[in-house]
Amino acid sequence: MTAIPQDIFASPSSVVRTPRFIRFCISFAKRKPVAAASALVLLIVVLMCVFAPVLATADPNRQELGARLAPPSREHYLGADQLGRDTFSRILYGGRISLGAGLGATLAGVGLGVVIGLVSGYTGGKLDLVLQRLMDAIMALPPLILLMVLASTLDQNFQNMVFAIAIFVAPGASRIVRGYVLSIKEMPYVDAARSLGATPTRLVFRHILPNTFAAVIVVASISVGSVIIIEAALGYLGLSVRMPTATWGNMLNSGAQTYMELSPILAIAPGVAIALTVFSINLFGDGLRDVLDPRLRGKGR
Amino acid sequence: MLRVYIFKRMIASVVVMFLLSLIIFVLMHLLDGDALIAKLGETGRIPKDQLDGLRAEMGLDDPLAVQYLHWVASLFDGSMGESLIYDGRTVSSRILSALPITLELGLLGMLSAILIGVPLGVVSAVRQDSFLDYGIRMVSLLGLSIPQFFLGLIIIIYGTLYLGYHPPRFYVPITDDPIGNIKMMLIPSLILGFGLSASIMRITRSTVLEALHEDYARTARAKGLKERTVVIKHVLRNALIPVMTLVGNQAAFIFSGALIIEILFVLPGMGRLTIEAIQQRDYPQVQGCALIAGAVVVGINLLVDVSYGWVDPRVKYG
Repeated sequence: MTAIPQDIFASPSSVVRTPRFIRFCISFAKRKPVAAASALVLLIVVLMCVFAPVLATADPNRQELGARLAPPSREHYLGADQLGRDTFSRILYGGRISLGAGLGATLAGVGLGVVIGLVSGYTGGKLDLVLQRLMDAIMALPPLILLMVLASTLDQNFQNMVFAIAIFVAPGASRIVRGYVLSIKEMPYVDAARSLGATPTRLVFRHILPNTFAAVIVVASISVGSVIIIEAALGYLGLSVRMPTATWGNMLNSGAQTYMELSPILAIAPGVAIALTVFSINLFGDGLRDVLDPRLRGKGR
Repeated sequence: MLRVYIFKRMIASVVVMFLLSLIIFVLMHLLDGDALIAKLGETGRIPKDQLDGLRAEMGLDDPLAVQYLHWVASLFDGSMGESLIYDGRTVSSRILSALPITLELGLLGMLSAILIGVPLGVVSAVRQDSFLDYGIRMVSLLGLSIPQFFLGLIIIIYGTLYLGYHPPRFYVPITDDPIGNIKMMLIPSLILGFGLSASIMRITRSTVLEALHEDYARTARAKGLKERTVVIKHVLRNALIPVMTLVGNQAAFIFSGALIIEILFVLPGMGRLTIEAIQQRDYPQVQGCALIAGAVVVGINLLVDVSYGWVDPRVKYG
């Protein structure tokens, strides 16, 4: 037996293969320039929030009474609020909470939805019926009411807020995944795998789950936007993370409403931050959907 | 056939309402303390045996299952339990005075959303890939991205500063002064409608685009009908089904939107009632509000499902 030459598995050094992800990004940017541009905006927003400690011009919670309701200036790029806290710094730090909640709640909610959808679609029968009616019941609750109820019974902190929002993200994701599982499970290749003796676990994780990923990514990218808006609404009602921690939502609540006639920037700055971020997410999500999963096109939100 | 279908859907709705009541009940009991502590506020000074006596009187020391049954029983006698804060007022009496306001706002919002969204969607589809199409799509995406309450806030700031608009100071009941009531509701419902119209516009656009290439549209054109007639009479009608489904699916979101808009405009609807109840820790009230909000959404979905056949006779109920 001759030894197998080691380098047959390595690609010839003359052909430098760019990684798949980078190639995907390049082709995406070519096909959907607007979506790619909005992804860039999003990246900048995220980086600004990640590097908040470096970029912030002041401690977000430090009150400088001399600067109360200060208009935008060189010291305070976006002015200061009624307690003299620097709005620009609060936007940066608040973005960490708002974006974090958006991402965290989406991951948790979509994750939960995928599990429920898989179980529901794959097993079918009574379990499917019970799970789906349960999802119907949660979907029937207006999200704001559900979140108000949870905010009233749970302590108001970041984890609980993420948990509460995740509960309302899950049903939508579970329905879509279930739909996909129902159709994938009848595909010939799944039958083939089963007749080769694949266990149910292997069938689900190797053959069914990966084929729902495109839909899951699309759903996730779209729900991040609505989660950020929901967090903002909660913050506005004073039910988000407790003060004085800034979030984009509670910056609209604290003082913005009382003092907005004297200093409109107090309301405009966080509002524009939310709108810009969600707008970019939606544009990006739309593009991603067209590329990854044309079947979902026109499914509303 | 239709009757059987309606019956089946009603059974399903009842099941969903039952599950909903369970979910709400469990969520409300995630809390450590109980309603008594909420009612009495500072508890340290009241001797424990007195507390226990009161608890027994209020039925709070019963097992959870028994408490749940009590609650369900109170739903059926129409009181939905008693408010902890306002002695002698039932939960349902306060909901009854608040609910119509939210429903009116939601309905007007939905109406304006359809009036804005459907025509824009049709124009956008007919002029696909034109400048107008891109413009409309951008505006609708903005509608999805701007939180409704922020839009409301901006309108209140700049409306009062420059446009002479004042948010209503007092609530005018529709029975006293219908015109004054509609005037007051107009701006809030337009704000609500703008957010919703975005989704409606998007779905109208995509279904009209599809329908424009269907055989019946080509037949209609071959008959020599004007494009306008083809679009309005043949295409639009067939594109309405997904819009209806969307309205059903979005009912919960519309309700949420109405809640926050009415809080912003200080209208005494369900939003203010619920948030007040939460701040006062009036748990039976919160529980009742949540259940009624869910019931409204379930009811709307039932109506939407049943009326498909009325809009499109081809729909077979199975």
